[in-house]
Amino acid sequence: MSVVQAQPAPLAEEAPVSLWRDAWYRLKRNRLAIFGLFVIALLAFTALFGPYLTPYDFLGQDLEARNQAPSLAHLFGTDDLGRDVFSRVVYGTRTAFLVAVVVTTIALAIGTTLGAIAGFFGNPFDRVIMWLTDVTMSVPNLLLVVVINASLKTPIAQWMEARYLETLNPFYRETVWIDFLLVFGSMALISWPPYARLVRAQVLSIRSRPYITAAQALGLSNRIILMRYVVPNALGPLIVAVSAGLGTAMVLESAFSFLGVGVNPPTPSWGNMISDGLRVWQHYPHLLAAPAAVLGLASVAFSFLGDGLNDALNPRGSK
Amino acid sequence: MSAKTENRLLDVKGLTIEIETRRGPAVVVDGIDLHVDKGETLGVVGESGCGKSLTMLSLMRLLPNKIRVTQGEAHFDGRDLQKMSNRELRKVRGGDIGFVFQDPMTSLNPVMRIGDQLAEPLIYHRGMSRREARTRATELLRLVGIPGPEERIQAYPHELSGGMRQRVMIAIGLACEPKLLIADEPTTALDVTIQAQIVDLVKGLREKLGMSVVWITHDLALIAGLVDRVVVLYAGTIVEDAPVDELYANPRHPYTRGLLASIPKLSDAPASRLNSIGGTPPEPGRRPEGCPFAPRCPLAMDVCRSHVPKLEPVSAAGSHRAACFAVEKAREAA
Repeated sequence: MSVVQAQPAPLAEEAPVSLWRDAWYRLKRNRLAIFGLFVIALLAFTALFGPYLTPYDFLGQDLEARNQAPSLAHLFGTDDLGRDVFSRVVYGTRTAFLVAVVVTTIALAIGTTLGAIAGFFGNPFDRVIMWLTDVTMSVPNLLLVVVINASLKTPIAQWMEARYLETLNPFYRETVWIDFLLVFGSMALISWPPYARLVRAQVLSIRSRPYITAAQALGLSNRIILMRYVVPNALGPLIVAVSAGLGTAMVLESAFSFLGVGVNPPTPSWGNMISDGLRVWQHYPHLLAAPAAVLGLASVAFSFLGDGLNDALNPRGSK
Repeated sequence: MSAKTENRLLDVKGLTIEIETRRGPAVVVDGIDLHVDKGETLGVVGESGCGKSLTMLSLMRLLPNKIRVTQGEAHFDGRDLQKMSNRELRKVRGGDIGFVFQDPMTSLNPVMRIGDQLAEPLIYHRGMSRREARTRATELLRLVGIPGPEERIQAYPHELSGGMRQRVMIAIGLACEPKLLIADEPTTALDVTIQAQIVDLVKGLREKLGMSVVWITHDLALIAGLVDRVVVLYAGTIVEDAPVDELYANPRHPYTRGLLASIPKLSDAPASRLNSIGGTPPEPGRRPEGCPFAPRCPLAMDVCRSHVPKLEPVSAAGSHRAACFAVEKAREAA
């Protein structure tokens, strides 16, 4: 988002600072938040380039070297098929980030749009959208995801298979996409309500501010007022929620993979690695420890950053 | 009559505004008639809560929830503002009628550079490109006397002082060279020296741009040198309407006299108490029968408590009108 990279202020020394610069200045002084940011940057780099840098293929099996303890050759050891755990954790980072970013983006888009409409235009939109939000939130998350996966996976797979036989287009053979579609879709479906509620609350309070009336008195359209006056002012708390939401999405994906409704093997995900590791942890604890530690680290990093952003964007709350 | 109407820029007739309360609808503005001629500056004066701001907001159909216009019409340049489609109305807002709001601290978007806020109406109403609008924004800031406008368009509202922000608000109101500028207590939040600067600024701009101005205030002294005509509002009704010099020289309504008497003068004895009007204006929905000012009026007679006085000319010329039985009686006696 371009607003975050505020342009340098024109004057030196006592130069006035923009809201975002000010927030960045406060964030920089928060060590935990900077630690979080550093870890997230490292993980993001790993997600982007890691798979090209790992010493082994994440699918490469070496049946001679199964269940090895961590060593210099295999930093996190090997699993029961002789695959390098480090390479798999690195590739799992990509899965985790892909899930987190895509799910959060979809949830954010749905939540922001619905929340802004509900808050800005009021009833009857408000009532319908909030009803939808409450209904979605009242269904247990895991249950909903399990139901979606269990009921839709087979029909979609069959449909894809039929399409393949019809067109012989290899795209329809790629079952990974079904996985992603279902996992992303179902996770986004359960993740949007908090964003909608947050944005609605923000918009409700912003809508009654004088600068909104002033913008209306300028003859600006509702769309412009919503996009340029309301949403940017609601962004602070939303950024905090997104930072926390990214971490939550990673943990959620792991939970689903653990339960077998997430990303399917052989695509490595921290969740299914933890799930596999759990069965043998008494004998090979490193199989559980490596992915679990990385997941924990990522989750904590996002929490720290979210907390730091919260303080940085709420000047009233800080000392 | 037709020459008179031709010169009318804004003509409000029988405007009634009601607010929804738990006890039912309450009248806050009670059938007022108001007009502004082309090139004229009108002062609208009254205590807080007498309906000044609501009247002006209602013209642009910007009333908050639960407050609405129940009767009356408002013609601007011959067209009824209350009957316009939203699309037409949006062209009038900011295009033909500029608004300057009361509180410069909260009436600017805090996360938008002031240059962009100035550019917005230009892009929307004048179809300018962003670049053209920015150049024009710089000119506007120079016009309202902001030093270093080239740098200032990059600033965020919180980087400017109150007086500077009010200048920005005025610049935004003037951006599309409106025919009418409505200023809603634009100096209330500012200190006295800045108030005078803003008044002078608007005075100069009015002449330069040839626009009409409606200046809402509760400060009669401030606008003496600015406006041509003053309308005094009390509890949602017009109690007096007169050319500014006439009003100061010869106030007729007891409320206007009270307002003028409450302005401290240098000739007052040093330790004397400030004059004030006893009591408070009636709450909406609890207006007394008869003249709304009667309970606070030193001249109140029996008729004032049972009948509502009409706005009648007090002089032969007819340009000075007041709504008061005492004034009428005095005139009949003369």
